[in-house]
Amino acid sequence: MDYQIMLTELLKGLLVSVEIFVLTLVFSLPLGLIIALGRMSGNCIIRNIFRVYISIMRGTPLMLQLLVCFFGPYYIFNVHLSSEYRFIAVILAFSLNYAAYFAEIYRGGIESIAVGQYEAARVLGYSQGQTFFKIIMPQVVKRIIPAITNEVITLVKDTSLAFSLSVLEMFTIAKQISSAHTTMIPFVVAGVFYYIFNFVVAFGMGRLEKRLNYYR
Amino acid sequence: MPEKVLTINKLSKSFGALPVLKEISLEVEKGEVVGIIGPSGSGKSTLLRCATMLETMDSGTLTYGDLTVCLEGCYADKPVLRAARNRFGLVFQNFNLFPHYSVLKNITDAPLCVQKRDRDEVMQLAHSLLAKMGLSGRENAYPCQLSGGQQQRVSIVRALMMKPEILFFDEPTSALDPELTGEILKVIRQLAEEDMTMVIVTHEINFAHDVADRIIFMADGLIVEEGLAHDLVNAPSNDRTRAFLSNIMK
Ligand SMILES: Nc1ncnc2c1ncn2[C@@H]1O[C@H](COP(=O)(O)OP(=O)(O)O)[C@@H](O)[C@H]1O
Ligand SMILES: [Mg+2]
Repeated sequence: MDYQIMLTELLKGLLVSVEIFVLTLVFSLPLGLIIALGRMSGNCIIRNIFRVYISIMRGTPLMLQLLVCFFGPYYIFNVHLSSEYRFIAVILAFSLNYAAYFAEIYRGGIESIAVGQYEAARVLGYSQGQTFFKIIMPQVVKRIIPAITNEVITLVKDTSLAFSLSVLEMFTIAKQISSAHTTMIPFVVAGVFYYIFNFVVAFGMGRLEKRLNYYR
Repeated sequence: MPEKVLTINKLSKSFGALPVLKEISLEVEKGEVVGIIGPSGSGKSTLLRCATMLETMDSGTLTYGDLTVCLEGCYADKPVLRAARNRFGLVFQNFNLFPHYSVLKNITDAPLCVQKRDRDEVMQLAHSLLAKMGLSGRENAYPCQLSGGQQQRVSIVRALMMKPEILFFDEPTSALDPELTGEILKVIRQLAEEDMTMVIVTHEINFAHDVADRIIFMADGLIVEEGLAHDLVNAPSNDRTRAFLSNIMK
């Protein structure tokens, strides 16, 4: 087995894993906020729709959701999708799933802000939008960073689930090389890469947490 | 005829089945300082919260000068409410400063982003008010770095920055250590000397006696007695007022 080739292949896979990771965050972080707001809506129909959504996304395996996102369009609507859809299905499933987790984190954060903050803003004439984005959200972000960090670290490891749709991310490639050459080494290397990936992520989140430490 | 800044007529408010305010009427003239005293649970905070539109009243009329916020239980349209919000300020018991904003941002953000006033004018006013309140040099501090007394002074400045015609205080010293109440009372006295129109809910009877023109004694959602500060404190005519005063001055 050529180690050089193995490393190159695994690094290519890592790049795909990073892509899944970044795109999932880009979509699920804002989507999670929208779901959190729906979950806290004054309208009980809307509130319950989002409650059920969150319950399903958290109550069923992500791998199953991946398969549904990939095969669903074919079995349900009988549409044939190109092979690029594989990757889209992964991003779709990951974003929908992580948004549900983020939504509950946002909700906890928003509900933890003292009502006095809203009242002070209201007396000062801030609009609802200004109150939410200028006064409430910055405080929420600070409070939820530790919980978000947990989810983000889980996401790094969860990207390996994309192997169930044979997307060529790092874990899929490690498995291919391993069975082709009957060796454990690609898994060990992949494990090291995942660890470094998470180390960097945790470091970045730690820095962010520190930066928001200028107030209590 | 003296100008009426605030007129409340027969304001009633219930929380569910619990009536908290029963046909309260109150008028405040320009430059007047009104003290509100009364036992805990008598509805003092609820009265201020109705007057500052944090709570909706069930019936009665609420007017700020020429702006009728609520006419016999019917609230006016949004633009009127917004205009009325510009007329008053509220100082909370527990300050409610924005913890993620510096002192300067806390006091200038609403004048700049809500009232859209000129930046130079706002900054100038901010620095002069901070100086007046003994807070010069703390512009860049965050609320958590200040003592309770300093935080309350910042929140008074924050309210004054909006140039309100009337300022409400809900027990402004109750969340403070006893040794810090003095600095807040001094600041409010100073405002009274400058003819700021104020309505102050307080347990500091001596302070109310000194600073208020008129004192209102509330109990069970009613105004039990009202009168000139000196008269009400020294010669209350109602038994409940007498009992309350002798209790609190013990
Ligand atoms: N949001 C609320 N929901 C239900 N009851 C309330 C609420 N706010 C105040 N109350 C009740 O209204 C009464 C008056 O309260 P409050 O105005 O805070 O009195 P005070 O400020 O004079 O101590 C109390 O019995 C209190 O329990
Ligand atoms: Mg109260």
